[in-house]
Amino acid sequence: MTRVLVVDDAQTVRLYHRELLEQDGFDVDEAVNGLEALERLADTPYDLLLVDVNMPRMDGYTCVRRVRTDGPDIGVPVIMVTTEGAAGDREQALSAGANLHMAKPVQPEVLLSRVRLMSGVLS
Amino acid sequence: MPLIRRDDAAPAPGQERREIPRDREGLIAQLDDKRPVARRRASRELAGDAGAVDALCDALEREQDEGCRHAMLTALLVTGGQRVQERLLPLLRSEDAALRNGAIEVLQGMPKLAAGYMDELLADPDSDVRIFAVNILESLRHERVPDWLRGVLERDDHVNVCAAAVDVLTEVGDDHCLDALRQLPARFPGEPFIAFAVRTAERRITGEERGDGR
Amino acid sequence: MAADAPREATEVPGIGYEDFTRFREFYYRKTGNWFEENKRYYVDKRLLARMRATGCGTFREYFVRLRFETDGAELQELVNSMTVNETYFFREEYQFQCLVRSMLPRVVKRKKPGETVRIWSLPCSTGEEVYSLALYLLEYWDDVDDYNVELIGSDIDTRALEKANQGIYEGRALHALPGPLLKRYFRRLPDGSHQILKSIRDSIRISRVNLQDPLETRPYRGFDVVFCRNLLIYFDDAARRRAAETLYDALNPGGYICLGHSEFMSRISSLFKPARFPEAIVYQRPEEDQT
Ligand SMILES: C[S@@+](CC[C@H](N)C(=O)[O-])C[C@H]1O[C@@H](n2cnc3c(N)ncnc32)[C@H](O)[C@@H]1O
Repeated sequence: MTRVLVVDDAQTVRLYHRELLEQDGFDVDEAVNGLEALERLADTPYDLLLVDVNMPRMDGYTCVRRVRTDGPDIGVPVIMVTTEGAAGDREQALSAGANLHMAKPVQPEVLLSRVRLMSGVLS
Repeated sequence: MPLIRRDDAAPAPGQERREIPRDREGLIAQLDDKRPVARRRASRELAGDAGAVDALCDALEREQDEGCRHAMLTALLVTGGQRVQERLLPLLRSEDAALRNGAIEVLQGMPKLAAGYMDELLADPDSDVRIFAVNILESLRHERVPDWLRGVLERDDHVNVCAAAVDVLTEVGDDHCLDALRQLPARFPGEPFIAFAVRTAERRITGEERGDGR
Repeated sequence: MAADAPREATEVPGIGYEDFTRFREFYYRKTGNWFEENKRYYVDKRLLARMRATGCGTFREYFVRLRFETDGAELQELVNSMTVNETYFFREEYQFQCLVRSMLPRVVKRKKPGETVRIWSLPCSTGEEVYSLALYLLEYWDDVDDYNVELIGSDIDTRALEKANQGIYEGRALHALPGPLLKRYFRRLPDGSHQILKSIRDSIRISRVNLQDPLETRPYRGFDVVFCRNLLIYFDDAARRRAAETLYDALNPGGYICLGHSEFMSRISSLFKPARFPEAIVYQRPEEDQT
């Protein structure tokens, strides 16, 4: 089964993503900030990370940079979700090492198609 | 003998104090030291010193080392007070997410001052800043938190600001917030996430479980 | 605590709510320990006992004395009575396993034979943890003869440290310790209790340290592993952050830190990175960090 880690401090967002993805057949885990995501990654391999930007203790950019430099799986696909669709966010997300960027609020079809694409379900 | 005891290796606590007695000025100068460990130490020793707040904030804005920033933010959190708040609020506009979130964490730890700036922050023209204001409310121990959040639901027309407020209300909301919550989806008809988040918050507040047992 | 629950609302005569809140602020600034409202009975009872012991008739009188004494002796007495010292031998043994099987092999890769490995047990309370480390290394670490190991146990509670120095234990403290180790490393005393052998007692060092005091903790550095278990739960967020920073500076780059089973660095600080081993997840000070 394809495993996705949803990293967001907002519980409603985690729950929403979980429900959408589980209905689509994905296996979903959650982390409440970047650090907890790193803890999970040390423990379990994932096929995709879905990462929010603003979180306490460790923000999303820092988290993704750490995954890319010394994660156990530095190549894991990452989608970053930011609040504004502003160009600055996209640039920061990509330069931190994300493969793809999405703006909040996320539309269900968009989320699913990107997740399918990035987690290799389509290939 | 594999286990060794060295009473001379590190001096017993209480014996070694600091190498040279240092005052606030000395510690402030040390915030610019080349070695991160020295900057961290100086920050720790300046914690609680209201006269060092500006120097710590100046240093924080220049600082690139994560560990040193951490120590400077902690020192500001320990000191607290009006001046800390005044210096941290502008950092919410920083491009640097780590700095922004660090500032939010410190502001969350100073609940008594929140009433002085929260209304203004929630009315900021920049929707990102309003989201950060809601983030501050998330773990602020202040009795007006539900009121502020209800105000956001009633007045803010940015979907992400409202979404952030709904999320916090799932935890801290009470019956007085229910009306405002229920009216929200109609304001954002094209956003399934808002409808979902409101349902979740309502369920948590009223304590009703869903049919499928989740 | 469950046993205290029905009495939560009880007000101990002589200590009003204002007194309680003023005291907890003071105590928090000194020790990082934060008392929620539901700890009020626990706190008041101990304050009253210290008031009686010092002959102070009112809380106000006692509080003045506490704040203005120069030698800190009464504060120490009070701390000794407020702390929760619960601990036992081989508590959360999987972390000791992790130490000998995973952490130390990595630590010594960076050392030459003959070099010292330094381990800090903070807080060590009445000593069970730091002695467990000693026994575990002697029994289960294959390379124990190739390296010098320095073990230090520290705590803020001087009464607990006295017990650690004596090394006399009984009952619950020993319940998780394998029988053969009890035989090998302890001497049975006439009253049925057990004292850990003098050679072991002499090989560790015990010291008083307040983890919240940046000056007191400064001399403690160059550690390869720190056990900081079941202390952070008593701290609030700010005190936890300070503790994390102090421990960061106490560790060598690449050094490890073990927390209690209900304590998570991910809720505290981004200074460390998680390190996954077969036995446990621990936290590591990043290697590449400059000091
Ligand atoms: C529950 S015991 C933990 C003992 C042992 N580490 C274990 O896990 O079994 C907590 C200890 O923390 C100590 N303590 C509390 N505040 C402290 C502080 N600020 N600095 C150092 N030790 C502290 C208390 O004296 C107490 O002995």
